[in-house]
Amino acid sequence: MDPMAAIRETFFQECEEQLSELEGGLMRMETGETDQETVNAVFRAVHSIKGGAGAFGLEDLVRFAHVFETTLDQVRAGRLDPSASTMRLMLRASDALADLVRCAREGTMPDEAQTTSLAAALKALTNDGMAEGIGAEDDDDGLGDLNFLPLAVAVEQETMPDAGWVITFRPLAALYANANEAALLLREVGMLGPVSVTVDTSSLPDFGDLDPEGAYLTWTIMLQTDCDEAAIRAAFEFVEDDCDLVISRAADRPAEAGLVQVRPDEDAAGVVADVRVLDGDEAAPASSFADIPSDADVLAIIRKAQESVSAPHDDRPVAVGGGAVAPVAAQSRPEARGGTDGPASRSDSGAAVGATIRVDLDRVDRLIDLVGELVINEAMLSQRVMEAGLARASGVAAALDELEHLTREIQDSVMAIRAQPVRSVFQRMPRLVREVAAMTGKQVRLLTDGEGTEVDKTVIERIADPLTHMIRNAIDHGLEPTEARVAAGKPEEGVVKLTALHRSGRIVIEVADDGAGIDRERVKAKAIEKGLIAPDAQLNDEETDNLIFLPGFSTASTVSDISGRGVGMDVVRRSVQSLGGRISIASRPGAGSTFTLSLPLTLAVLDGMVVSVAGHTLIVPLSAIIETLQPQAATVHTLGMDARVVAMRGRYIPLVDVSVALGYRDAPLDADKSVALLVEGEGGVRAVLIVDAIQGQRQVVIKSLEANYRAVPGIAAATVMGDGRVALILDVDAIVSVTRTERLRGDGLRAEPTLSQAG
Amino acid sequence: MTRRTRIAKSNGKSIGKMKIRLDPVLDIKAAAPLYALLSSRRGGDLAIDASAVERIGGQCLQVLLAARARWEADQRRFLIEGFSPDVIATLRLMGIEPAAFDHRRETDA
Repeated sequence: MDPMAAIRETFFQECEEQLSELEGGLMRMETGETDQETVNAVFRAVHSIKGGAGAFGLEDLVRFAHVFETTLDQVRAGRLDPSASTMRLMLRASDALADLVRCAREGTMPDEAQTTSLAAALKALTNDGMAEGIGAEDDDDGLGDLNFLPLAVAVEQETMPDAGWVITFRPLAALYANANEAALLLREVGMLGPVSVTVDTSSLPDFGDLDPEGAYLTWTIMLQTDCDEAAIRAAFEFVEDDCDLVISRAADRPAEAGLVQVRPDEDAAGVVADVRVLDGDEAAPASSFADIPSDADVLAIIRKAQESVSAPHDDRPVAVGGGAVAPVAAQSRPEARGGTDGPASRSDSGAAVGATIRVDLDRVDRLIDLVGELVINEAMLSQRVMEAGLARASGVAAALDELEHLTREIQDSVMAIRAQPVRSVFQRMPRLVREVAAMTGKQVRLLTDGEGTEVDKTVIERIADPLTHMIRNAIDHGLEPTEARVAAGKPEEGVVKLTALHRSGRIVIEVADDGAGIDRERVKAKAIEKGLIAPDAQLNDEETDNLIFLPGFSTASTVSDISGRGVGMDVVRRSVQSLGGRISIASRPGAGSTFTLSLPLTLAVLDGMVVSVAGHTLIVPLSAIIETLQPQAATVHTLGMDARVVAMRGRYIPLVDVSVALGYRDAPLDADKSVALLVEGEGGVRAVLIVDAIQGQRQVVIKSLEANYRAVPGIAAATVMGDGRVALILDVDAIVSVTRTERLRGDGLRAEPTLSQAG
Repeated sequence: MTRRTRIAKSNGKSIGKMKIRLDPVLDIKAAAPLYALLSSRRGGDLAIDASAVERIGGQCLQVLLAARARWEADQRRFLIEGFSPDVIATLRLMGIEPAAFDHRRETDA
């Protein structure tokens, strides 16, 4: 890749992270968390985006970010109350900023009217109603209130705490060349406390000998602060190699006369406020000043990008077990970046930043593929050894055990590289909620929980769409209109709760609303109207709720008048199923609905039960199996023509002959001569699967059948067994749903193409 | 890297009357063009309109400080005027009193 393009791409990746931090921070502020740390984190997110955008000449982005940053600075300085309306505006500004970033990335035109309007609204907040267009020539006039103001009371030098520092700062030419700016560093220091600055020009050569891009000035900064030296050094964190910096205590150095003194305010708080005045003064001209302020961030971006660009950009496989694996596995665990660390923490946690590296995703994918091959080869070797009849106590078997253990460890470690908190998906949702709420005229509050729950990146990428759909539905169809809520004695503001947690080796994501719940009568009536069920069909609540997942039930035009759910839920279910997941509904009339997704943590490996069916080897996901059993003839009952059920503990469980369902056989086996697996599909629906024999349990590497062959109903994926043969992984939900569809619609998987070609 | 060349505009004809107007952004990219422009005006009085300046960085400040010293040594007039309050604040932050760029009294006296 072109190095500049790579740097630019890195900037946009950074932007995504900053935007997530920004939105998360604003959301926290909206709920009252207006502590300095949160506000600083939010400020720095915008500041960083602005800085990077300036470096790449993204003027629209810079301008808007600057206005936004200025407003945030007012909050930070305590001059602007982060009221609910202010925070709503800032959240909208955050959305607009995200739009501007996206447009810059895609090279498309932003919605100028929106940004202009929002910028004006932001300025109105800081300028006491003086709204201006963003593109106005006197754009920066909006920052006029940051000018120096005559201050009546000066704090005597003697009354200053004896906590001063003397900082000698001499930039090298490289500092400027790396897009840093001395003025901004002075500003950073000024944020720590009142400063007095002198400049030493003695090294300045004669004009004729001057290198205009050289560095000749040295600044001495008298800083009054209680901060420790580390805090001061943090201000110079990104330039420490590009300057001479000496920091010493000022205890026995008297205040020097004639220095440029930042005028303090009346009290201690005012002293701080005064520095912010200075900060604002410097930043004030900066709709175009903007590319300077975040030089440190720009430098960080560029350095990171340069690292990735300068690294060998070979997409060829890295050797498993070789030196290339260890650093990646050891250093790039995503959780090191997780937690509550925001951008604000970057400057004071340099070690944490250094502990992560950015790796081309292709390399990680390739590594995972290779580890998958390793797992398969280990399985093949294991099988060969077993076939050779070696004793378990033999040295070979022991070494094989060790290899298996090691392989598993490597696999877990490699998978951990791709593990990410679901935060990145969750953080997209507040905007969605705001937009849908605005469209529907409803008041909605989104609550999230478990954002730190980790799951494989592939899963994260693919759950965004179903989640988006579900949340949109929750607001549009789940929550009642405001008047209806009030009439029902509910708060005007509806609540949508998004939760993630780990459960039994899977990730469970819930989307719950406190709306009216599914209107089952109307859903049922609509299903009858659409011919999806017989008019006299007897359905329990669960079956009725599940009607909304039926294709054909839910199109916008057919369900828009239904005060339940339905739009696109068949699509949602298909998406979830394609992930190897399940979706279920729990709805209470008048109290709301909860949609629960149960998804695998990774799409790369699977713990499965290896079974034989009509001469084929199949894998049944272990997570779906409740127990194995040997049905007795007396417990098997036939219903109608060919439907069978098994009596188990007072319940009748539908029985599915896998070989028939998949088309391997025409006639079902006798249940009492087969092995059965009690499985649970989506929504807790159970079935007994009849197979010929059970071979055992094994972890298998999932290979996409769709990508390598084609999608096959009833089959979720494929894998390669130890003997080198391909085995298919059963889609338990699809198989289980045979029972339901048979009962509801009278057809099943048998009508679908068989697997004879794929076996 | 392509340097910004539009650093200042000249609206006069003779050096004595010529007034250079500085561009808004005086960052590292502007340092070399600014230096070149000022170099081309050596030997004459110089008046600079800084009213458009929105930001000034360390390197352009160096150029202006060195120029000021050179013009002073050459016994020529060197005047920068019109700094906005914001830029004045920045200059003070960098330890510079804007009045340092006003040499009318010295040179006109």
